[in-house]
Amino acid sequence: MRINFWYISSFVISLFVIIPILTVFSSFFDNTSNYFQVLKNTFLMEYILNSLILLVSVLILTFIIGTGSAYLVSFFNFPFSNFFKWALILSFAVPPYIYAYSLTAFFENYGTAYTILKNLFGEGNYNQSIPKFDGLLGVVLSISFSLYAYVYILARASFLYQSQNIIDLGKNLGFTKFKAFYSIILPAARPAIVAGLSLVAMETLAEFGAVDFFSINTLTTGIYNSWIAFDDLAFANQLSFFLLLFIFALFILENLSRKNAKYHFNTKAGFKQKQKIQLSGKKAFLAFSFCFLVFFLSFLFPLSQMMYWTLKFPENLFDLKILDLLMNTLYLVILSSLLLIIFGLVSNYGNRVNKNKTLNILSTLSISGYAIPGVILAVAFITFIAWFDDSVIKNLGFVSIKKVFIGSILGLVLVYFIRFYSLAYNGIKSGYEKINISVDESSYLLGYSKRKTFMNIHIPFLRNSLLFVGILVSLEIIRELPITLILRPFNFETFATTAYISASEDLLEAAAVPSLFLILIATFFIIVTSKYILRDNND
Amino acid sequence: MTKNFFEVNNVDFNVGNKTKVKNVSFAIEKQGDVICLLGPSGIGKTTILRTIAGLEKLKKGSIILNGKTLSSEKINLEPEDRNVSLAFQDNSLFPHYTIEKNISLGSERNKEKKEKKISLKEIVDLLDIFHILNKYPHEVSAGEAQRASLARSLIMQPDLLLLDEPLSNVDQSFKEEIQVRLKKILNKLKITTIIVTHDSYEAFYLGSKCGIILNQELKQFDDPYKVYHLPNSIEVVNFLNRGILVPAKVTGKNTLENWDLGTIEGNFIKEYPKGANVQLLLQPEDLEHDDTSNLKLEVVDRKFRGTNFIYTLRAPSNTLIPVFVHSHHIHQHEVDEKFGIKRPIHIDHIVCF
Repeated sequence: MRINFWYISSFVISLFVIIPILTVFSSFFDNTSNYFQVLKNTFLMEYILNSLILLVSVLILTFIIGTGSAYLVSFFNFPFSNFFKWALILSFAVPPYIYAYSLTAFFENYGTAYTILKNLFGEGNYNQSIPKFDGLLGVVLSISFSLYAYVYILARASFLYQSQNIIDLGKNLGFTKFKAFYSIILPAARPAIVAGLSLVAMETLAEFGAVDFFSINTLTTGIYNSWIAFDDLAFANQLSFFLLLFIFALFILENLSRKNAKYHFNTKAGFKQKQKIQLSGKKAFLAFSFCFLVFFLSFLFPLSQMMYWTLKFPENLFDLKILDLLMNTLYLVILSSLLLIIFGLVSNYGNRVNKNKTLNILSTLSISGYAIPGVILAVAFITFIAWFDDSVIKNLGFVSIKKVFIGSILGLVLVYFIRFYSLAYNGIKSGYEKINISVDESSYLLGYSKRKTFMNIHIPFLRNSLLFVGILVSLEIIRELPITLILRPFNFETFATTAYISASEDLLEAAAVPSLFLILIATFFIIVTSKYILRDNND
Repeated sequence: MTKNFFEVNNVDFNVGNKTKVKNVSFAIEKQGDVICLLGPSGIGKTTILRTIAGLEKLKKGSIILNGKTLSSEKINLEPEDRNVSLAFQDNSLFPHYTIEKNISLGSERNKEKKEKKISLKEIVDLLDIFHILNKYPHEVSAGEAQRASLARSLIMQPDLLLLDEPLSNVDQSFKEEIQVRLKKILNKLKITTIIVTHDSYEAFYLGSKCGIILNQELKQFDDPYKVYHLPNSIEVVNFLNRGILVPAKVTGKNTLENWDLGTIEGNFIKEYPKGANVQLLLQPEDLEHDDTSNLKLEVVDRKFRGTNFIYTLRAPSNTLIPVFVHSHHIHQHEVDEKFGIKRPIHIDHIVCF
């Protein structure tokens, strides 16, 4: 095996991303405080049970909403079906914690629902009859309506690539629409749906904002509490270790589930574009209603709630330095996205040209950063920097580097990098999977070196994928909460941290303004890239 | 000793750790010669091309082009440093570039050549792909993509051109015409070429030499006439599906005796002692139709092949013997009828095993 520039680059990038993960693993063997015993005797089972209930409920709900809406817009024509096609991804603009604020703001005692009823029917004791979507139910709804779009996008992309031939085959076999969906369309889209659900699962297990807001004890809050309240980093890491194992199991399950089957057509030959079925009457109304309800609940509802409060309490608008928040957010977004794209690209190419087992294992490990809750990643990063500073830097007689990495933009961006590396890596990888290896070989045979192949053939081909990955990463960073909270420099706020701080001080009205801006910026990003996200054109 | 333009010396061709073809040696004497490699699917023909192109590593033997070692146990020139072009069987066009851009990328390599022998226009006309120049690879048919890929390889004017089933996706009606054009341009440009194909007629037409790869070995490497008429092993006979083997006894310097057909005369390719029992290769063209003959066999099948019929006759020993007859021949026979065979039977080249 020849060591080349691409090998070394991929190796170093993957290793860097793995370090915090290794820190979590190594902490597993550290001594813990009494908190572990206290927890074991009291809440541990509750944490695990809540996490499981949350995970299962969110997976069921996102599967129904995501796959159902994707099926309707992919196979049928009904009023506004083209609008819903992209409108249904706007839910990405609303992070679960902002959805949680909206749910509370609307349904709480004397909240927006109360105001509406009062305006419609006059004074009354409505508080008792208004349902309360808080607690575990609130978390499930917040996460599901925010994250179902993962399932929607991937299922829809898979439905889109299904040939009319297999649908015709179903008809030919005398299948009803339901049977065709159940026994042909759904199994063929299984890998895409499972991939979407695993993303949802990881996000759910890592979710901090909404869970914290509704005071639900899960493994994630357990991790947070063991660190914040009991200062027991080792135990926090041990809990994370279990969470990681759980997520690795999901990873493996997802990989195994699609290893032996082929789910798509390789060649254009025999591929027939799908004809959408025109719905009318009751069926059209039902399809429209389902999609509208999903769109309304996932996007319009939180958006209107935040707009309503912003208009109702306009003073909050002037209290905030909106421009500063915007600049801070964009600064982080641009810097991190660029780094992620460049290094994700280099690492992918390194793996592609070297086909080396060690590198492959390192890359697989490196993309697990996404599965680690942000809180843990931030803490692991701090732990590592502190250890490195104490045992290496100081021993060598250099000045402490803690300040360079902790509470600095650099540290923040590096942890974003670790957290979202898998998004960038996998996004670029899926672009790369469309480039047949014979394209690389043709390029070499045309006399192009590896570098020239990378620059002249791959990058132009991956242009759209890179833009898509950039926006996806940007969206995540705009919405990101725990890492930013822990690692941001003093007096450096983003829309997300400002919203969280206001909400945690019970000033939900004040949280509305940054939340609204966050939603609007994220919506702008989504609309700009909806073409790439939805991939109607076979690019 | 004459210096060959291209040589493969005792090479084991591998994919990873698996050896596909063992201990292969062959040579192309002059620059501009075209050779073809024939063999069944999956036998390793593509591996041979990929190794010559530098896309697979070599563990044993050496590959030498124009005096320069491309691959050996110690040397492995990177594909980009070989000036060897490989046109893949499957579409390997760059999907984000138009067909025109794809082809012109090939011409970048021959820019340094003092004398530009072929232009984009010429190659486009030759392969009849003008109408797809502004299209993207996914917008054209498999046959068109294959021709575009061929154009890109040709325009490079490499030192060695490797074509992997270059016309497998081209429509049958157009295939022969493209074969003619391809032969013409390869001759004109004097591009040394190795073509891999499973179509023996394509190989016999395009190649000045043909190699037959069977059971992990290069069984025969010879000019097409010899490969066709004088196969050197039973495996080659079976692969080319060119006749049957019947038992015979050598009765003289130029004669042998078969129980069904009687005496057969001709020129032995190899000498056999009198009385030796051999397996005689009987090809459809070896027997002549003659209803006046007293040697009559029963027709069990008749295949119409356009210009000819292939009769299958049952001999007394139950052996099924193929016989070639022109389709304009005056008297044709139906199944179950008796079919006369001209005597004495004379075979120009007697091939025995």
